[in-house]
Amino acid sequence: MLTQHKQLAQLQTRCQTPEEDMQSFRNFPAPSSSSGGVLWRMAHIVEENKLTLTHLAELEMIHAMENPNQGMWYTFQLLEPENDAQSVELTQFKQQFKCHLSELLRQMSVKIKKHTDEAVWIRIALGSSFSKPNHLKPTYVVHYLQTPYVFVRNLTSKLKPLLSQALTLATRHQGVKEANLSGRNLTSIRDLLMRQYQQVFPTKYRSPPEEEDQPVLNQHIEKEQGGVAAHRRHMAHQAFGDGMLPQLQSAVYMLDTKFRDPNNRTMTEREETFKCVVKFSSIDLLESLRSCASSGIASAPVTPLLSSIPLKGRNYFVVTDNTPGPSSQGHQTQN
Amino acid sequence: MSRLNPFAKLPGLNTASVLLVESEEHFQQSLAEALVEETSVTVNVRLAKSFPLPIENDESRPRIDLVVFIINLTSELSFQSAEASLKYLEPGYFLGKVCFMVTNARSSSVPAERLDAVRRLAASLHCPLLFAEEQTPQGVTNAAERLLTILKAAAGFVPFTTPLYLSNLTRCTLPPDIDQPSFD
Repeated sequence: MLTQHKQLAQLQTRCQTPEEDMQSFRNFPAPSSSSGGVLWRMAHIVEENKLTLTHLAELEMIHAMENPNQGMWYTFQLLEPENDAQSVELTQFKQQFKCHLSELLRQMSVKIKKHTDEAVWIRIALGSSFSKPNHLKPTYVVHYLQTPYVFVRNLTSKLKPLLSQALTLATRHQGVKEANLSGRNLTSIRDLLMRQYQQVFPTKYRSPPEEEDQPVLNQHIEKEQGGVAAHRRHMAHQAFGDGMLPQLQSAVYMLDTKFRDPNNRTMTEREETFKCVVKFSSIDLLESLRSCASSGIASAPVTPLLSSIPLKGRNYFVVTDNTPGPSSQGHQTQN
Repeated sequence: MSRLNPFAKLPGLNTASVLLVESEEHFQQSLAEALVEETSVTVNVRLAKSFPLPIENDESRPRIDLVVFIINLTSELSFQSAEASLKYLEPGYFLGKVCFMVTNARSSSVPAERLDAVRRLAASLHCPLLFAEEQTPQGVTNAAERLLTILKAAAGFVPFTTPLYLSNLTRCTLPPDIDQPSFD
């Protein structure tokens, strides 16, 4: 304990020398707990190696790239690619993006890295015209070149229009819109959107060896309604697929439809639409929906409202009373 | 509407068949595995979710000696499904060949009226009402043992005892103060 106090005093004297970049990391609590001791050793390492804020930002970015399944990721889709959008490659994208963004903003810090799985990670720390970039709340943007998908974490309302503009110009598209898909696991929402999970293709004839979900069943135990259960399971797997599903945390339906309930005359007779929000949340939403359908809690065949989550790759829907057409927003309600 | 008939078929040799009806299809599996471990008698277990049973199985189905309705007290749907299934049984079953088994009676989310409703139903049909604990293996074994006692009598393996005689002793009776409010 005494040596730690001595070290703290020494560090404080050392910190008197002007080192502007280190200002935000200087206020350490008294080392009374083990976490204080860790912070201590960190401070020591930082001081000894003369690490600056840029090094620390780089470290944080590496950490974020290795642990992508943290925070809340939102998806955007780029629209209307121009003729040369397919030929945009990394150096050109980096140059264009940094150039466009620095035209729009003065105080900011941008880092672009390429991950091993062909994803481009961009870390943006914003400041205002009065302050330096705030490195404690950076925005992360992940983009897969030659695809129209962009994933963003921690986007501020100030940065949003500027980021959209910089992205559309750098990737040679004409617009960007929200793709209505959000989740905690970057790998899962990426897999869902780019269909990198085990898909089921509709077949007309069932494959001959039917999979038994209980292969070792006692010969004395027999299910009366086994056929019905197998049929339900088949339809659930048709809607959601066979293998591991990407992990989503929620699905939100904004309903703006007329109230329909044969038991409730007063509400049904109203002319105005009934607005409500239905939210499903779970640690693994698609897996739980699949087991709901196969166990009979949800009606089988699976309603298109639920099966369009993996089909269209979105988990935010606006449901209105329009007839089902080519637009992805309108959806006829099923009752 | 084809009903299940208790005496339409011949019984198997040293065999007892029981039909477990449960709307959730959860407890019946572990209960079935505990029941088939009985050695003195060959126990056939048929599992169903609700009545009516599929007609395709009518030929291959053995004579059902005991029909057990498993009701999960935390779910109203479970009780309603069991009640709706009763009309698919021939009246001959209600002479000691039907039993009610109730799970989750100790759960705090169960309204008292539901247990009373199950009691009234079992008492009006003169059937025994068993309480089972499904979440521990010991509970499953206990439930299976008690069910086997009733099953053996229903299948005729206990000398000088008919299922009707046994049901007279084991049937559910309503406590005299069932209509009075309970204090929780």
